[in-house]
Amino acid sequence: MSSHGVEKSHSQGAPFKFTAENLAKYEELLTRYDDVESALLPVLHLVQEQNRWLPTEAIEYVSELMKIPEIKIKEVISFYDMFYDVPVARNMVHVCTNITCSMFGGREIYQGLLKHFDTDYLTPTRDGRISLQKMECLGACEMAPCMRINNDYVGPVDLVAAIQKLEELP
Amino acid sequence: MDKIMEKDTANYKDYTLLSYHHIPGVHNIDVFERAGGYEMMKKWVGAEPETIKEEVKQSGLRGRGGAGFPTGVKWGFFTKDRAAKKYLLCNADESEPGTFKDRFLVEKNPHILIEGMIISAWALGTQKGYIYIRGEFYQQAVILEKALKEAYAKGYLGKNIMGKGFDFDLYVHRGAGAYICGEETGMISSLEGKKGQPKLKPPFPAIKGYRGLPTMVNNVESLAAVPWIMRFGAAEYKKFGTEKSAGTKLFSISGDVNKPGVIEVPLGTTLKEIIEVHCGGMRNGNKLKAVIPGGSSSPVLNADDSYAVKMDYEDVASKGSMLGSGAIVVIDETRNMGDILKYTLEFYHHESCGQCTPCREGTGWMESIFKRRESGKAQKSDIELLDKTAASMRGQTICALADAAAMPTQGMIKFFRPELETYVTTNVNSNKR
Repeated sequence: MSSHGVEKSHSQGAPFKFTAENLAKYEELLTRYDDVESALLPVLHLVQEQNRWLPTEAIEYVSELMKIPEIKIKEVISFYDMFYDVPVARNMVHVCTNITCSMFGGREIYQGLLKHFDTDYLTPTRDGRISLQKMECLGACEMAPCMRINNDYVGPVDLVAAIQKLEELP
Repeated sequence: MDKIMEKDTANYKDYTLLSYHHIPGVHNIDVFERAGGYEMMKKWVGAEPETIKEEVKQSGLRGRGGAGFPTGVKWGFFTKDRAAKKYLLCNADESEPGTFKDRFLVEKNPHILIEGMIISAWALGTQKGYIYIRGEFYQQAVILEKALKEAYAKGYLGKNIMGKGFDFDLYVHRGAGAYICGEETGMISSLEGKKGQPKLKPPFPAIKGYRGLPTMVNNVESLAAVPWIMRFGAAEYKKFGTEKSAGTKLFSISGDVNKPGVIEVPLGTTLKEIIEVHCGGMRNGNKLKAVIPGGSSSPVLNADDSYAVKMDYEDVASKGSMLGSGAIVVIDETRNMGDILKYTLEFYHHESCGQCTPCREGTGWMESIFKRRESGKAQKSDIELLDKTAASMRGQTICALADAAAMPTQGMIKFFRPELETYVTTNVNSNKR
């Protein structure tokens, strides 16, 4: 998005390719669309399911596989908040900082979590367990303040409850 | 959220969209069908398409995503050439701050949407459809995928549906975290595998949309209303609501009320009733200060207007705001409006797609006034500057995001100028961030 800009991509220092299972999923995805390009978002989601983030090697792989120029893929990655071109931890935690959640302390929870886990936006904790990301409205304002832990919504939470939930993560 | 529904279960016949919600397990196709689900699809697929379109038009159903454009009229712009390749796109990219009604509908009853889409697809003659759902709604996408699988297994989707010679494939497409993809042309760009940047209209998507082909984009709630309308008819639907705002509407209410959640009430229900009856009144018995009536892009109403307004398209507009997606954020006397505006402006700056200068720069300038506050450099006159900046952004861009940032800003200044002037010039250590 505008506040991000296109960032240079990062290497993970090892090649990427889909597992046989995900390659089959990729083939199935293509059947849903009338052109290959339309499958780009679902394919990038699939890469992240396998690899958590999108290193240079994955971008090169997808570019080769789908015949889409790398720059176009990078452009797409930089536009969407849920595509990561930097390494992220094995648990992704989204904290809502929009209107209703902020009214009930969402921002204090986000700052408190950063402090407790001694980390910053997206930077994995030293044990590689958690990446924190503040997010715009998560669409669950009745749970304010809410957060997403991996794919599940949790809320309302306070900082103590949030820390406890994150400490329980593997 | 469920509590609101449980309370009203006895009166479920008063609902259109939530009329199945009292039935446990209605997200399963068998339970849904036992309750009468898919009956309308069976009745209407194969029937005269123009009859369906006319019924939807007569019902007065207006687009429930925010714009409120009559759905039947929009359908009327679509090509009648049934052989032409075209698409039906369901907008489930619910991202307007304050809105969570579509999430609720999809979670509880995915099949009502799918049934509505199959009937609509038949009426419009589309061969393929996508439900574009925001990336954060992962579990909801899983629920939809499962429901689609069930519908395919029954022969309600795919080739030659129910032996009626109609082919319709329907898929879930997940976004990846970008508010602008809820704008219909932004959504189309995103579906095409690009950045979700809106396109100039005209041409409208109904003429030239996804992959340059005719594409009908409708909100979840609009499409989910179709089976009820086709069951009971336009005349019955119009018994709900007001003359120009027909039917019922889902409202998602959050903020300083005792029971936030999703409700379905006839359009024209007073905001006072919504707050006091459906949401259990103000939290801690606090006094109402203001209400954002239709999502973050709708101008705020002060307490007097909030208690006077009826929640339909016309009455909310008469108070200088808009019904939008029906996202009501209730704000009590303990809140500072400066905080609310700051959250709003940070949001729009973050979500501007960057294509148009007035929006890309304007949202940034507006946000920067609140940044200056944190370093103690903001002045009282900055609120006037904010008002002027907002005014200069309006109507200057490809899509409505600039207006969506400018309108609530100007609305806030209209009612709360002195409070905002004090806010920006009070140097608080930024512990509110």
